[in-house]
Amino acid sequence: MRFRSLSRPRRALATLAAASLALAGCSSSGGSSNASPGGSKDYKGKTLTLWHYEGADSAMGIAWNQAIKDFKAKYPGVKVKFEAKGFEQIQKNANMILNSDSAPDILEYNKGNGTAGLLSKLGLLTNLTSAVHNYGWDKKLGSSLQTTARYSKGVMGSGDWYGVPNYGEYVMVYYNKKMFTKYGVPVPTTYDQFVTALDTFRQKGVTPIANGGAEYPAQQIFYELDLAKADRQFVNDYQLYQHKVDFHGPQLTYAAQTFADWVKKGYIAKDSANLKAQDMGNAFEQQKNPIMISGSWWYGTFKNEIKNFDWGTFLFPGNKLDPGSSGNLWVVPAKSKNKSMAYDFIDITMQPDVQNLLGNSGGIPVAADVAKITDPKNKELIQNFDKLSAQDGLAFYPDWPTPSYYDTLVAGVQELINGTKSPSGFLDSIAKPYNDYRSQLGK
Amino acid sequence: MTAVTRPVTGSVAPDSAPPAPAPPSVRRRRRGPMAYVVFGVLVAVMALFLGPLLIVAINSFKSASDFAAHGPLALPHGWHLSTITRFWKRVDFGTKLINSLEISLAVSVLGVVLALLNSYAIGIGRVRGRALFLVFFLMVNVVPQEGLVYPLYYLAKQVNLYDSKIAVIIIFTVIQSAFGTYLLSSVLAEFPTELIEAAEIDGANSWRTLTRIVLPMSWPTLSVMFTFFFIWTWNEFFLPLVFLISNDNQTVPVALAVLQGQHSMDVTATSASALLGVLPALLFFLVFQRTLTRGIAAGALK
Amino acid sequence: MSGGAAAGPPAGRRPGPGRRRRHRTRGYFWYLLPGLVLSFVVIVVPLAMNVGLSFTSWPGVGNPEWIGTRNYTRLFHDENFWASFRHTAAIVLAMAVVPTVLGLVLAAVLFDYVAKRFSSRSASLFRSGLYLPQVLPVAVSGIVWSWLLLPDGAVNALAKDAGLGGLVRDWLGDPDSALPSVLGIMIWIQLGYPVVMFMAGLQRVNPELYEAAEMDGAGWWQRFRRITVHQVRPELYVVLATTTIAALKTFAQVFVLTRGGPGNATLVPSYFAYRSFFEDADVGYGSAISSIMVLLILVVGVVFVRLQTRADTEGRR
Repeated sequence: MRFRSLSRPRRALATLAAASLALAGCSSSGGSSNASPGGSKDYKGKTLTLWHYEGADSAMGIAWNQAIKDFKAKYPGVKVKFEAKGFEQIQKNANMILNSDSAPDILEYNKGNGTAGLLSKLGLLTNLTSAVHNYGWDKKLGSSLQTTARYSKGVMGSGDWYGVPNYGEYVMVYYNKKMFTKYGVPVPTTYDQFVTALDTFRQKGVTPIANGGAEYPAQQIFYELDLAKADRQFVNDYQLYQHKVDFHGPQLTYAAQTFADWVKKGYIAKDSANLKAQDMGNAFEQQKNPIMISGSWWYGTFKNEIKNFDWGTFLFPGNKLDPGSSGNLWVVPAKSKNKSMAYDFIDITMQPDVQNLLGNSGGIPVAADVAKITDPKNKELIQNFDKLSAQDGLAFYPDWPTPSYYDTLVAGVQELINGTKSPSGFLDSIAKPYNDYRSQLGK
Repeated sequence: MTAVTRPVTGSVAPDSAPPAPAPPSVRRRRRGPMAYVVFGVLVAVMALFLGPLLIVAINSFKSASDFAAHGPLALPHGWHLSTITRFWKRVDFGTKLINSLEISLAVSVLGVVLALLNSYAIGIGRVRGRALFLVFFLMVNVVPQEGLVYPLYYLAKQVNLYDSKIAVIIIFTVIQSAFGTYLLSSVLAEFPTELIEAAEIDGANSWRTLTRIVLPMSWPTLSVMFTFFFIWTWNEFFLPLVFLISNDNQTVPVALAVLQGQHSMDVTATSASALLGVLPALLFFLVFQRTLTRGIAAGALK
Repeated sequence: MSGGAAAGPPAGRRPGPGRRRRHRTRGYFWYLLPGLVLSFVVIVVPLAMNVGLSFTSWPGVGNPEWIGTRNYTRLFHDENFWASFRHTAAIVLAMAVVPTVLGLVLAAVLFDYVAKRFSSRSASLFRSGLYLPQVLPVAVSGIVWSWLLLPDGAVNALAKDAGLGGLVRDWLGDPDSALPSVLGIMIWIQLGYPVVMFMAGLQRVNPELYEAAEMDGAGWWQRFRRITVHQVRPELYVVLATTTIAALKTFAQVFVLTRGGPGNATLVPSYFAYRSFFEDADVGYGSAISSIMVLLILVVGVVFVRLQTRADTEGRR
C-alpha cells in the first residue's frame, strides 16, 4: 500500500482537484482553499518559514534538508527560512507561539491528545482534511498511522486531519551481540527464552536491562509488559477512552507485578530510579547492560556512535502490540501566512526520494520503497515496523491519556523501582489521575 | 570638599588626618603552620568547585563515539574540535553570543542606574514609607517568574513586543534593579551623613550630591551589582525561552536547550556549548573583579 | 560600632532622626519615579493578572472560565502541594542559612587571614573559584553533578577508593538520599554569592579597626565576631533575605537534577507550578500555586525588611 509510486494517481487527483476547486469555490468544512497539488505555482520571492526540532544528523534532519532542497528546486525563486528549534521551547510554549504573529508557516509538532489534540481543540491548527484528500496523503498512510493525525474535539482516532507524519516509531529490544556471545546466551525468539536470557545474565553478574527511571524508558517497559496481555480493544479503551479501564484488571496487574519482579530479581537495576534516558543510552553504548528496551529513535544514534561492538534489534518476544505510533507531525498553524506553500512542502516530504532517504539514514519512513533501502540493518528496522503497523500493533505510548500523565507515570514507576510502593499501590496511584481526567472529558 | 579617610564607615571622626592606610597585602604576617593548613583546605575546596567545570571542558573535546564508548568522566581519547565547531555553526552561536551580550550589558547598565536612583531616594533621601518601598522592591525581584509568564505574554503582544529583545531587556532591568535597590539602599543607609550635609552646605543640590559624592563612594557595591546583573541576566533561561522565539533573537542559554532533544541529549555538544556559553560570563567576572579589587585597595577616594 | 572616636563637632556624631528631616524637602521622591512606574507595569500588573487567573480554569488559549476558589480547595487536598512546602523548609536551610554562615566565615578567612598572610591576589583567586558555580548555568552544573552522582559515577568511585565503601549509594535515585544530595549541590552552587557580597562589604572596613583589635590581643575569632559581623550587617540582611527567598523559589536545580522525583521526594512549589502551567496546561491551578508562593514570599520579605530597618533606626552600638 505504501510502496506505490505516485505518478498516475497523482495526476488523476490533480485534475480532479482542479475541477472540484473550480466548482466548489471556497471549501467548506474548515479546510483551507488552494489545497491542491500540481499546476504551476508561482512562489517567486515568497518565503516559507519552517521549524523543526530534529537533530541535523538524525534521519529526519537529513531527509528534511533534502526536502528543502527539492522544494527550492521545484519552485524557483522561493525562499525557505528554516529555524532549528529546541524541543523544550516548542512543547512548552506552542500555544503562546501559535497564537501570535510569530507563528511559522509550518512546523513539526508532537502527536497525541495532549499536544496536537489540544492545539487542534484550541483552534490553533489548520484543518488539513481537504489538502490530505487532494494530495492523496491518506492513501499513503496506514490506518494506525492515521490515528495520530486525526483529531475530533482533541481526541485522536477520528475526525479532521490536523497533521501529516513522515515517519514512524516503535519500541523494540536492542541487544549487544558481543555480550550475548560472550556470556553464552542464545538470542531469544519467544518470551520464555527472553526471560531465561535475562536470568542467565543475572547469574553471571550482569544486570541485563538498561533503564532510565527518571524519564520515559521505565514506563515504556511497563507498558510493553502490559501489552503482552492486552488486545486492541484494551488499547482503544486506554488511549481513546472507549470504555472504562480497570487498573486492577489482568493486563495492568500483570505488568506491575512483573516489573516489580524484574527489579527484585535484578533484571532491572534497583538504582536506576534517577537515571535519565541519556544515561540508559550511555550504559548500553558502554556495554554495561546488554539489553535496552526503547524506541527506534535511538537507532541512528547507535549506528553513528557504536563502533566497538556488534548489535541488533528484535521485536519484544511474544507481543502482538508494542508501544509505537506515527512520528511527529507536520502541522500548519492557523495563523500561517503561506498555507498552500506549506502543503506543497509536505507533499515533497512524502515523495519517494525523501522517504527513501529517510529510510536509508536510519529512520522509519511511512511511504518508502523497501527495495530501495540499501543497508540490511535499516531494512530490518523498517520491515519490523511495517509488520507491526500491518497487524494494527501500534499501541501508542503510556503517557498519552492525560496531559500530566507523563509525570504521574514517572513518579509512580520510580516508587515501584525503589520498592516504596507495592504493585497494587502503584496501580492505585496511576488510576486516580486517569479517572479524574476521563470524567473531566465527560466520558 | 574635605577629604575623608575611607568610604562609608561608622564612626571615623571626619577631621582626623587621612593617612591613606596601607592595603592589607603590604603588612604581611608571619605564616604559621596553621596558615598552610588553612591554605590547603582552601585548595581542596577549590578542587571541589572547579572540578565540574573541568569535566564540562573535557567532554567538549570528545567525539561522540568516544563519549559513547567511555562515558562522561574519562579523559578524551584524542582531542576533537569538531564537536565545538559543529555546534557553533548549527545554532549560529555567534549571533547568540551577540544577543546575550547586548541584553546582559543593557540590563546591567540600566539596572545599576535605576537601582542607584531608587536607593538614593530610599537610603539617603529617607523618603517616607521607606520600609514599604524596600518590601516593594524586594518583592519585585523575587516574584516567581512562572506566574508572570502568561500575563507578560499578553501584555507584550498588545504592544507588539513579543519575540523582541527589548521586552526581555525591560523585564530584566526591572527585576535586577529591584535587587540592586534593595542592596544599595541598605548600604546607602549607612552613608556618613556628614558628607551629605557638608555638600549641602557647599550648595550642592541633590543631583550633584548624587553624582559627585555618593556615586564614587558606592563604587564597590555598584561594581558588584553590575557583575551580578550581567551574570544573572546572561544565565537567564526561562523568560528568554518564552519571549525570544525567532532564532535571530535568542540568547546563549536558549540555544543550549536546542540540544536537549525529545528522547535523548546530545551530550558532547551540550558540553561544548556549555563551555562556550560559560566562557564569556566567566571572562567578564574575572576581568571585572580585578578592577573591583584594584579600585578599592587604592584606598581613599575624594 | 566599636572604636568610638567622635569627640568634637556634632556633625561627627550620628544625628537622631530629627536631623534627617532636612533632606526631605529636596524632593528625593522623584528619583523613585522611573523605578516605580516600570515595576508597576512589568511586575505588579502581571502579578494581579496572575492572582485573577488563579480563580479560573484555563488551558492557556481561549477564554478563562471562572471557577471561584476551586483551584485552592483542590490545592489544599493535594499531597504534592504539602510535600513541596515541607521540602522548602529543608531547602531554606541549605540555600540560605548554611551558605550565609559558611560564606561569611569564608569571606572573613579570605579577607582577613589569607590576604594578610599570603597575598590579596590569592584571596581573589579563591573567591573567583568559589564563585564559579554561580557563573555556570544551572542546567550545565546539574548535568555534571548527575554524572558524578550516578550509581557508578565518580563520587561512589572515590568513596570506594578512599575506603569509605559504606557511603556508596544511589544518591539521586534513592528517596532517602535524593533530597540531601540536591541540598548539597545547592550549597555548592550558592556559596559563592555570599562570599563575594561579604568580601565587597569588608572592603568598607577600616583596616585600622582590625589592627587596633589585634594589638589589643584579639584573636581571629574575636575579631570576626566583634568587627566583621557588625561591619557587613547590610550585606548580611540582604544575603539572608535574598537567599531565603531564592530557596522558596527554587526551580532550576530540581528541574535539572531530579524533576521532583523519585516519586515526589524532591518536589518544590515552583516546579509544581511550572508543571501545571507548561506540562498540564492548567494555568489556573499553576496561578493558584504561584499566588500562594507570592504571599509566603511577601511575609518573609516584610519580616526581613522590618528587622533591617529597625536595626538601622535603632542607632548603632
